[in-house]
Amino acid sequence: MFKRSTVFLLTLLLIASVFVPATFAQERVTITVLNYFDLTSPGAERELQEVWHEFSNRFPHITVLREDLFLEPFHQKTEAYAAANQLPDVIYMWPGGRSTTLHTKRLVKDLRPLLGEDAKYFSEAVLAPQTAGYLAELPNTMTSSHALYVNVGLLQELGLEIPETYEDLVAMVPVLKANGLDTILMGAQDDWVIQSCLFSTIVGRLVGDKKMDEIIAGEAKFTDSEFVGALEFYGRLFADGVLHRKIMNTTYGEVNGLFAAGRAPFMIDGDWKVGNFITDTSTGEALIPVDKQDEFKMIIFPAIPGEINPNSASTVVGTGYGMSANIPAGSAKEAAAWELIKWLQSVEVQKLRLETGGTIPSRIDVTSDQLEPLVNERLGYYALIETGTYVLDSVLAGEVYLPINIGLQEIGLGLATPMEVAERTQEAYDAWKANQ
Amino acid sequence: MKKAAFWTEERRAYLILVFPAVIIYWAVMAFPTIFSFILSLTNYNGGPVFGNPDVKIVGFTHYVRMFNDKYFWISLKNNGLIMAISLFGQIPLGFLFAYVLHRKLIKFGDFFQTIIYLPAVISTIVIGRLWQSFFSPYGPFTEFMRRFNPTWENELFFDPHLAILPVLFVILWMYTGTYLIIFLANLQKIDPALIEAARIDGATEWQVLTKIILPALSGVIVTTAILAISGSLKSFDLLFAMTGGNPARRTSVLALYMYDNAFRGAPKYPLANAISVFMVLLSLILIMVVRITESRFGGRE
Amino acid sequence: MATQTKIRKSDFHPVLRIVVYVIIGIFTILTLYPLYWLAISSLKTTTEFQLNMIGWPQNPTFRNYPSAWRLAQFSTLFLNSLFFTIVSTAAIILLSLMAGFAFAKIRSKFTGFLHGSFVIGILLTLQSIMVPLFLMVNSVGLYNTRIGVLIPYIGMGLPMAIYLCTEFIKSIPDSVVESARIDGASYFRIFSAIVVPMAKPVAITLAILNVAGVWNEFMLINILVSSDALRTLPVGILKFSGPLAADYGRQFAALMIGMIPMVVFYLIFRKQITEGVSAGAVKG
Repeated sequence: MFKRSTVFLLTLLLIASVFVPATFAQERVTITVLNYFDLTSPGAERELQEVWHEFSNRFPHITVLREDLFLEPFHQKTEAYAAANQLPDVIYMWPGGRSTTLHTKRLVKDLRPLLGEDAKYFSEAVLAPQTAGYLAELPNTMTSSHALYVNVGLLQELGLEIPETYEDLVAMVPVLKANGLDTILMGAQDDWVIQSCLFSTIVGRLVGDKKMDEIIAGEAKFTDSEFVGALEFYGRLFADGVLHRKIMNTTYGEVNGLFAAGRAPFMIDGDWKVGNFITDTSTGEALIPVDKQDEFKMIIFPAIPGEINPNSASTVVGTGYGMSANIPAGSAKEAAAWELIKWLQSVEVQKLRLETGGTIPSRIDVTSDQLEPLVNERLGYYALIETGTYVLDSVLAGEVYLPINIGLQEIGLGLATPMEVAERTQEAYDAWKANQ
Repeated sequence: MKKAAFWTEERRAYLILVFPAVIIYWAVMAFPTIFSFILSLTNYNGGPVFGNPDVKIVGFTHYVRMFNDKYFWISLKNNGLIMAISLFGQIPLGFLFAYVLHRKLIKFGDFFQTIIYLPAVISTIVIGRLWQSFFSPYGPFTEFMRRFNPTWENELFFDPHLAILPVLFVILWMYTGTYLIIFLANLQKIDPALIEAARIDGATEWQVLTKIILPALSGVIVTTAILAISGSLKSFDLLFAMTGGNPARRTSVLALYMYDNAFRGAPKYPLANAISVFMVLLSLILIMVVRITESRFGGRE
Repeated sequence: MATQTKIRKSDFHPVLRIVVYVIIGIFTILTLYPLYWLAISSLKTTTEFQLNMIGWPQNPTFRNYPSAWRLAQFSTLFLNSLFFTIVSTAAIILLSLMAGFAFAKIRSKFTGFLHGSFVIGILLTLQSIMVPLFLMVNSVGLYNTRIGVLIPYIGMGLPMAIYLCTEFIKSIPDSVVESARIDGASYFRIFSAIVVPMAKPVAITLAILNVAGVWNEFMLINILVSSDALRTLPVGILKFSGPLAADYGRQFAALMIGMIPMVVFYLIFRKQITEGVSAGAVKG
């Protein structure tokens, strides 16, 4: 009985939506949203006002039920929704990595057909197919997961120059040590950090995407000399004193203050870290005050001996919002959900994100004249990257990149050799491949 | 009439008293557990659970996978260490504190009792964050040690054998208060007249402790041991907030290892469920060992 | 009475006493220092905290508190936390005393199995039942409702509570129950007139355990509820704290907001533990 009446109602709704769209176009639609939201980010309050409230103002007939979560709680909730096949209408997503389930189980729609003509406002690279081969989320940005932040002021005080080669960098280590400073800071307690922010770039330089494609296709192995060579070079960073084991006991948030306070002249992190240094609009304070920002530069890791892709860094499209595959095509709900997804990557919103968080727009029609020096530095940083290479956790399956993540910490701590980590990764890959 | 005979007042009372708790508990905990045990035997891997044609029974393969994983053994070892610190650190200390407080052997007993139990009411997340910052290579602990040796580096977390030490230390500090309260409550149930009489007969403090108090508490000691064992096998929150299991998973525990498999990267629910089934079985076995030891060496209640 | 025990305190060896004082002293510092650190950190701006992690704030500011409170809508969260904590704790105490009484004092062939199933419950971790629990709550339509949170909270608190209650009620002499039966009292009368009053100590222990547990619980509420109107304090606090969180000022303020009520509750209730426990001791 219940089923029949539901079917009946749905049919009625469908008929209504086909025949009387004009009359009922303004009918109230409610859409649910699972949003990834960091209340602590500078500009969080502005975002609530100018993104979400503004949407309600502009589209009064659409009621948005938003659920804000951040970090682990967000991922737990996503997995729970996915397991129950009860995805909210609009969901925040990564182009791969921890959103893999949503992609590969096709729990969200391909947005490309909905985007249609509007594709011309986005740069070509950000609309590239994602993990499962389609546009599952509309990315907000193109990011580089690697940047070497340099405190130029500190280097000058010590009479040092920005390093151009890895050897230059190594030569600085004793000078810095004598001054009681560390060389490169990283907040690498979480094991994704080294892989995403440093090792992916090393792999891009020494292995290259072509070889990685072969490895991913099963035509080459992680145990081949190129990949092992990348792991060995990474191990050398510790032997040469460029990295210190204590990065693995420094949290991802803790490192910001340490770098701003000048505990080391270098920091490796994603380019998104800029957002943490610029002015917080709610307090007017900045970790690196505007007048000091000129002393900081973003460069890519210096030339590595034997690299095949000079001046390359790992890049990936940013996060964005996807649409549940459960929404019927052509329904009013779909229209409303799409309206929201489009709004979230509109000129207005991307401009706000650029100004408050330094997020580089994925649209080509966004500009702003009120940017802090560090945000301009980030924009300029992209010009340095000649080749964008893979971020490993966006091209490998979870089972395959986890042994790399942990292996990188083990190499740093002297608990495993590069070859052992390569072997373990290959085993994980073989097991994963067998299950596909 | 027959019905009336069957439904004696005793049976009816039993049913009414037990029913609400049983229903709620079975709905909330027992069924999901059975469910997760069944999932541990399948290849379910995300997406809809029911009516999913890809889900097949695969037997004990996930258990085999678990036993072949080196991180499983690292986690298990850490659980073992936590259990050791609970059984041989928290319980004796908790008892010692309860004893000196109860017998009023030190001043400011009330104050100390309050302080020692205080950590147990604070959110584990808060405590984890506090201690993480405290033990950070740039944190107060390092600064403090550098007062004595300016070049001291905080290497505590780097040696795979030592990385768990700060965690054990925090666990000892955090839960000793719970045992203090349990022992104190039960010490107060011992008839003071009994102790008085012994004292008047010239018994020493040591004799009072070993001849009267310890035997009277043997049942409680077993209870605390069971709490300690199940608590240590379940420990999650503190490590989650304090180290996240790192560096290199060397501070992982079974619950964290399970969480990693269920919620990090692509979900591996069957493996995660296999781990939780293993955890339950292990605690059951250990608790049976405690029970057997108790009856063998004859504690009286 | 107490004075007599004190008289021969002297045979508590002075060296031993010093050892005890030292250990207790360390515990005290370990507890008070972090609380102090948390309190002063909440008075720093994020920027200042990152540059000065342990010192006294140069420009102490309370700005973090109203800011965190408003941003995370703590007023609602606070009331929800109170509601879930009070209702679930009361229910757990009542249900577990009832079941504990039945298990301890009424003979039944089901006791072994039922009581055993609760004991196994003590060993279960929340993480292992999280996903199946979500599926079930969802399928019975209780997702995102108050009752859909309360029932799991009660269910999860029951195993330990029933274990403790059963053990406690077992320690009440059988003769008490038997003589009341001979006098013609019903089981419910025995329960309400004899067991409940005597069970005050165990009830207070349970209250402390559960209040702290539910007040600080964050994983389940996060999974079972989607609207902010039903969320509790820890969810709000977690919004400010995590490995990626950068706003330390508001984070510490949020942590303080979550912690203060618990500490106050405990300090008030603390006296009652002693009273409750000694009330139990008179009869024991």
